[in-house]
Amino acid sequence: MPRLLGDDFLLPTLGPHTKTYFTAGSIQIQFCKDCGHAQHPPDDLCYACRSRNLEYRTMPGTGRVESVCLVHHPVHPALKTKVPYPIAVISVDGAPGCHVLGNVTGCAPESVVIGDRVRAYFDEVPNPHGGEPLKIPNWARA
Amino acid sequence: MHGKAVVAGVGETTYYKHGQSKDTEFQLACQAVERACADAGLDVREVDGLISYMDTRNSPLRVAEALGMKELRWSSTPWAGGGNNSASCVMQADAAVTAGYASYVVAFRALAQGQFYRLGSGSTLASGGAPEGLSWGLPYGEMTPAQECALHTKRWMHDHGVSQEALAAIALASYANAQRNPRAVRYGQPLTREAYHASRWIVEPFHLFDCCQENDGAAAVLVTTPERARDLKQKPVPILAAAQGAGPEIGIRAFQKKWFPGMYYTNVGEMIWQRAGIRPKDVDVLQLYENFTGPVVMALCELGWCRPEEVDAFVANGALEGPDARLPFNTSGGNLAEAYIHGLEMTIEAVRQARGDSTCQAKDVDYSLAIAGPGYAPGSAILFGGTH
Ligand SMILES: [Zn+2]
Repeated sequence: MPRLLGDDFLLPTLGPHTKTYFTAGSIQIQFCKDCGHAQHPPDDLCYACRSRNLEYRTMPGTGRVESVCLVHHPVHPALKTKVPYPIAVISVDGAPGCHVLGNVTGCAPESVVIGDRVRAYFDEVPNPHGGEPLKIPNWARA
Repeated sequence: MHGKAVVAGVGETTYYKHGQSKDTEFQLACQAVERACADAGLDVREVDGLISYMDTRNSPLRVAEALGMKELRWSSTPWAGGGNNSASCVMQADAAVTAGYASYVVAFRALAQGQFYRLGSGSTLASGGAPEGLSWGLPYGEMTPAQECALHTKRWMHDHGVSQEALAAIALASYANAQRNPRAVRYGQPLTREAYHASRWIVEPFHLFDCCQENDGAAAVLVTTPERARDLKQKPVPILAAAQGAGPEIGIRAFQKKWFPGMYYTNVGEMIWQRAGIRPKDVDVLQLYENFTGPVVMALCELGWCRPEEVDAFVANGALEGPDARLPFNTSGGNLAEAYIHGLEMTIEAVRQARGDSTCQAKDVDYSLAIAGPGYAPGSAILFGGTH
């Protein structure tokens, strides 16, 4: 499906901490192999036990809307025809304490409320720098 | 702390609407530093320390050279964020002169954002080339502090049953107080409750009037020891306590666990009350940085003025408006209605209240408190002692 804010809207920068999340095609969360702590965004060591022994795990791809704001003012020229759109903080099932950002799509933007159950889908976009395509997670009502 | 350092002078340029200053940002910066020294009766060449925050353009070397300072013995900037350091920049000046590393330290902030990029604008961000850390929000159109603070505020209002009227009360108080202040950009433009509610949404739950202005201007605060201040012309204002920090669970990762929803001000409050030996009820007049109204009501609660369930009643019925308010608040008009100089103009208003020369002067001020921008860590606060 086309990206909510346009297929050519701002893409994530792929770096050591973002590449997995934006290319895997599933919801990937960083876990500590020593203490089991889940953290997002990923970092170079575990914030619970300082271990460097970290791995990504595949989450079920469901979650819950913890907060949502409806954006009316387009701060980027490409958003002038896209407002209003919702931005949500979503708690990720299977990753205690981990929240991610996304839009909730496929419904009236003003209808999204705290407590909504959502399911991840992935917008596949060519990588402008070449190589494997981006698979940008976003969310729709479950 | 404990009055071992004092504010000996404050300086401000004219405050302009965004993009309307004919002076360059660097000229504004230099003028504010010159005016702080003129206020104190100090030759600007005697300044030997410079501090700013979230400012890579007006470097201390450039300012020192341009103003002919004899020697630079202290230069620093508080880490991270933006307006959350409008109090800690003066705290650093206190640390520098109290420890004897420098004699006359100026903390300043200048901005004419129209001459550079504009804060809160995503239009200059490069697709696929922005800093990696911004990637978590950018693809979803999450790119401004207004949106981040809205996400916190929305959940917090939901959890505690806080109404839109609590947010309105902050905007109405700032605008009402600005009507007494001819320096205020919104002087002569009173705001009614009807106009507040009728104004367009920026990002729900923030109307236009819930958001700080965009302005051009500069502000500066001169700090020295009480002994040196005796030879200067202004009434010295003692710095009684200051605090900067975050935690526990620092909260560097936005929207995660402990600090969602939250403003990072619990430990700033605990530090300032413990160091000053007072409680919120003892504060005679408060300047609380408004980036947006939601963070103000959240910070009021985290700092201990009331519980979230009480905040609607706490701010209602003009409780924050005018010099005789139950809690005189943002008496210059603040970021919403005086000018947005990243909050340093509010630290200056706290000094003015301690001197007794505000345009909305609270009575018998013993404790005048300035709280820097909520919502971004590390937060900061500074408490000035009255001089009456
Ligand atoms: Zn661990």
